[in-house]
Amino acid sequence: MSEQIESISITVNGKLHKFLIGDFDGCISPSEVLLDTLRDHLHLTAAKRSCEHGACGCCTVILDGEPVASCMVLTADCDGKSVITLEGLADPITGELSPLQRAFADNSAFQCGYCTPGIIMSTQALLMKNPNPTEAELTEALSGNYCRCISHYQVIRTVMMFIESINEEAV
Amino acid sequence: MKKFDHIKADSYEQASQIIRESHGTIDPIAGGTDLLGTYKDRLLTTYPKAVVSLKNIEGSQYIKEDNDNLYIGAGTTLKTIAEDETVQKYATAVSEAAHSVASPIIRTTATIGGNLCQDVRCWYYRYPNDVGGRLNCRRKGGDTCYAIVGENRYHSIFGGMSTKSAASCQAACPAGTNIAKYMDYIRQGDFEAAAQEFFKYNPMPMMTSRICPHLCTDDCNQNTYGDPVNIPAVERTLGDYILENKDRFYKAPEKLTGKKAAIIGAGPGGLTAAFYLRQAGHDVTVYDAHEKPGGVLQYGIPHYRLPKSIVDEFCNALKDNMGIQFVMNTMVGKDISVEDIRANNDVVYFGTGAWSQPILGLDGENLTQFGLNFLEEVNTYLQKAIGEEVLVCGGGNVAMDVALTSKRLGAKKVKLVCLEQRQEMPADESEIQMAEEEGVEIYNGWGLGRIVSDENGHVKALEAKRCLSVRDKEGRFNPTYDEEDTMLVDSDFIILATGQKVDVSFLGDKLSQQLKTNRGLIDADIESGKTKQDGYYAGGDAVTGPNLAIRAIRAGRNAARSMNHDLGGTSAFEEFKEKYTHFNVEGVENPKQNKLYEKPVEERTLADEDRQSLDQQTAVEEAKRCLHCACYAVNASDLTPVLVMMNASIKTTQRTISAKELFTTHLTVQDVLHNGELVTEIIVPKTTGTHYDKRRVRDAIDFAIVSLAERFVVEDNVIKDCKLVFGGVAPVPYTLEKVEEYLIGKEINTEVATKAGEIALEKATPMSGNEYKIFMAKDVIYQAVCRAGGIEQEEIPVL
Repeated sequence: MSEQIESISITVNGKLHKFLIGDFDGCISPSEVLLDTLRDHLHLTAAKRSCEHGACGCCTVILDGEPVASCMVLTADCDGKSVITLEGLADPITGELSPLQRAFADNSAFQCGYCTPGIIMSTQALLMKNPNPTEAELTEALSGNYCRCISHYQVIRTVMMFIESINEEAV
Repeated sequence: MKKFDHIKADSYEQASQIIRESHGTIDPIAGGTDLLGTYKDRLLTTYPKAVVSLKNIEGSQYIKEDNDNLYIGAGTTLKTIAEDETVQKYATAVSEAAHSVASPIIRTTATIGGNLCQDVRCWYYRYPNDVGGRLNCRRKGGDTCYAIVGENRYHSIFGGMSTKSAASCQAACPAGTNIAKYMDYIRQGDFEAAAQEFFKYNPMPMMTSRICPHLCTDDCNQNTYGDPVNIPAVERTLGDYILENKDRFYKAPEKLTGKKAAIIGAGPGGLTAAFYLRQAGHDVTVYDAHEKPGGVLQYGIPHYRLPKSIVDEFCNALKDNMGIQFVMNTMVGKDISVEDIRANNDVVYFGTGAWSQPILGLDGENLTQFGLNFLEEVNTYLQKAIGEEVLVCGGGNVAMDVALTSKRLGAKKVKLVCLEQRQEMPADESEIQMAEEEGVEIYNGWGLGRIVSDENGHVKALEAKRCLSVRDKEGRFNPTYDEEDTMLVDSDFIILATGQKVDVSFLGDKLSQQLKTNRGLIDADIESGKTKQDGYYAGGDAVTGPNLAIRAIRAGRNAARSMNHDLGGTSAFEEFKEKYTHFNVEGVENPKQNKLYEKPVEERTLADEDRQSLDQQTAVEEAKRCLHCACYAVNASDLTPVLVMMNASIKTTQRTISAKELFTTHLTVQDVLHNGELVTEIIVPKTTGTHYDKRRVRDAIDFAIVSLAERFVVEDNVIKDCKLVFGGVAPVPYTLEKVEEYLIGKEINTEVATKAGEIALEKATPMSGNEYKIFMAKDVIYQAVCRAGGIEQEEIPVL
C-alpha cells in the first residue's frame, strides 16, 4: 500500500489545485471520482451527479481537451491534468456567459436544465477540436448526453445556428 | 462505492508484480469505465483493498505498424483507435467496433485493454451482492443462473458455459459425476454418449440409480421452482440401456499391458477399480470371501431395492465380457495371504469394506441379531419363523432395509428405535416413508439401555433411554442421554443395525502395523488411494469407515487412476470438455418430476423389485427438466469478436496468446490469464475488407444484442474467402466455420444470403425470452452477405 501520502495537482478552470490523496480529513480519498472532487471539494456544482455510471452525460467535463464522464474517472489518476467545467466557460471576472452558453439561454435549448451543463461541455469539447462540425458530427458528439425532457431538438438547432453565426462573424 | 487504496504503476511489470503479491486483494484498473461501474454497483462478493492504476504507464498508448501488422498499446483509448486512419484502413472492423462502444464521453477514457477484459452485463449478475445476497448467481460463485427463466436479452442463444464453480449437482455427487452433461445427451436422445460420459465417473449406474441416496437432487436448482430433476430415475433408465447393450459397454481391452492388478473385495469400490484397470488394459483379479461378487450390493441390500439378477448380470459382464478374473469363496488372510497376492501382482487394492459388528456393550447384547448378517441370511429366514414383534435398532438405511425385510418376512409388528429425531435420521427420506407406509412403528430419540430377557434367555424387550442430543457442538457423533427417562419396548426378536465396523485383521501382523490407523482403518490417501507401502492402494469403507457406496465408487476410480499411472498406463482416464451447454426451454419450466412407478403396499414382496424404470421417452422428458446450470451471459466486448475474426494476437506481461484462445476457450478472459498477467498490446494482422455490424436498441451506450465481425473477399460477385464471428449471442465470441465453408465459392444472391443465416443459427437453442435474437442474428448474416455482393437491403429494425 502507499506508505507515504501521495500528492497530486490538477488545473481546474485555469487554476492549479494541489490535493493530498489519502483517507484523512481534508484529503481526497484514493477511491474518489473526479465528479465528487469537483462538487464536494471545489464546490463546482455545474457537473451533475446523476446516473454515476457514465451513461447519462450529466457529469461531462473536459479533461485535457477531451469530454469525459467525470463520475467514471478517479481523481487520483488526474495528476498533472487540466479540467474545464461549465464554470470555466463564463468570464472569470465579469461572470458573463460564454457565447455558447448565451446561445443556449437565448434559444431556451433546455427544459429542466439538469443535463444542460453536460450537453454544453460535450458541445464545447467538439467545437474546440472542430469549429465547424456538421449536424451529424454534432449529433454523434452529443450521443452520450441524455435529456429526459427531450430538449435535443432545440439543442441541435441552437448549436447549428450558433456555429453558423460564428462562422459568419469570422467571414 | 467501497473505499480502496490507489497505487500508480510505472510499468506493466511493476503492476503485475503488485497484483501477484497481493493474493487477490488488488485489481488492475485501466480506463476504469467498466471496473468503477462494477464497484459502484456493489455487485461483487469481495472488493479489492486497492487498485493499481495502469493509466500513467509511460508508452502504453500507441498505434504502430509494420508491413504485416498493427500494434496497439493496451492503454490506447477507444476514441484514439476509432479515429486513427491506419486502423480505419487496415483494420476497419476494429475501428468500427471501437467506435460502437458506449458513447463519446466514455470512449475518451475507456481503453482497448480494459474493453477486452470487461465484465458481463447480465443484470442478475450485476444485482448488488449486498442487497441480501439474494441473487448470488453462478458466475459469482453461487449456484443458480437466474437468467435461465428470467430476462435474457444479454444472454446466449447458443448455450451456456460452465463457471469455475462446478455444477451444484456435480459438486454434491460424491463421485463428481457430470450430471448436467449426461442429461444433455439424454435430452438429445443419445443414450450412447450419455453412457460414455457416465462411465467417466461410475461404471454401474444400474446399481447406483437404485441404491444411492442421490445427494445431487438436494442441490438441484429445480428445487427453487418445483421438484428436483429425478436424476435417479434418468440414471436408472440409462443403467437399463447399458445392461441391454452390455456387450458394447463392457468390453475386453484392445491392448493388454501385461501388468497385473489384484483387487481385494468385490464390493462397489473394488469392482469399480477392477473395471477401470481392466479398461486400461491390465490383468485384473478380484478376491472375495463370498460366494458371489457384489459385496453389499449382493448381500447387504434387499432384493426388492436391488434385484440380485442385476448384480449378477453386471458382475458377469465384468467377468465374461471384460475378462476380469474373480476368485470367490476366498478369505484373504486365511485362505491366501496378502503378501502372496502382492508377490503375484504389480499392484494391490484393498476395497474390503465394513462388515463387522461393532460391540456396543449392552447387557444381553448376545441375544440380538446383527443387521447386516440378517440381510445376508435373509433367505434362511424365509424358511424359519421370524419373531412376532421385531425391534430394529438404528436410523440409517440398513435399519430401514432390515425393518422392511422383517415386515415382508411376516413379522406381526415391526418397531424401530433410533437416537435421532425424525428429521435427523440418516436414512433416505424415501426409505423412511416407505417403512412408515408399510406399518413400521418408529420411535425417535431413544438410545439403547439393555436387553430384557426371561429366565429361559428369551428376549422380552429393550429398555430404551431418552436421547437428549446425538451430536456435540463440533458436530461429532457423541450422544447424551437422560438415564432416568426409560421406556420398555416389547419385542421377541431384536436386530441391531446401529452401524458396521471395519476389520483389517486380514492384513496380517506385519502389514497391519504398516497400514493400520489408530482408528482401525487402512491408512491411505483419500484422493489417490495410495498407502505408505509401495504397490498397495486402498479405498472405500476400509479407509473412511462405513460410508456410501458412491464414495467407494469414487475411491475405486481414483485409485484405479493412480494405479494405472503408476503402472505406466495411459488413456482411459482422459476427460474431454464440450464448450457449450444447453437446456430445454419448455422442459426447465416444468416443475413436476416424472416419478418411478411404485407398487402399492399390498403388492410389495421380498422377491420382486418395488419400483419400475421409466421408459426411455419419459427419461428424455425428465432430462429436459435439467436446467443445465451454467453461465449464459454473453461477453459484452465489441472488440473481442473482431479480434477473433482478424486472427489477432494479444501480448501480455508473460506471453503472446491468440485472440481465439484468450477469448473463446473459457468463460472469462480472467480464467485464461494467470494471476497478475496483464494485457499489454494487441497485434492485428493488416487486413482489408473487414467490417463490424452491431444491433442494439439505442445507437449509443447500449451493448450489442447481436453483432457480427466479418470479412469478405469477393471477386466477380463470388465469395473467395470469408471469416465470420458473432458477438452477443454466446458466452464467448461464436465462430461460424460452417457458414464460411458454405459461402466460399458461392455467387452472392439473396438465396445464398438467406441460407447462410440459416446455417449460422442451426445450433441455436434460445432461452425463455430471447428467441428474437435468432431472427436478428439471421438478418445480420443476411445483410452482411448482401452488402458484400452490393445488394441493397432494408435492415430489420431492432424494435
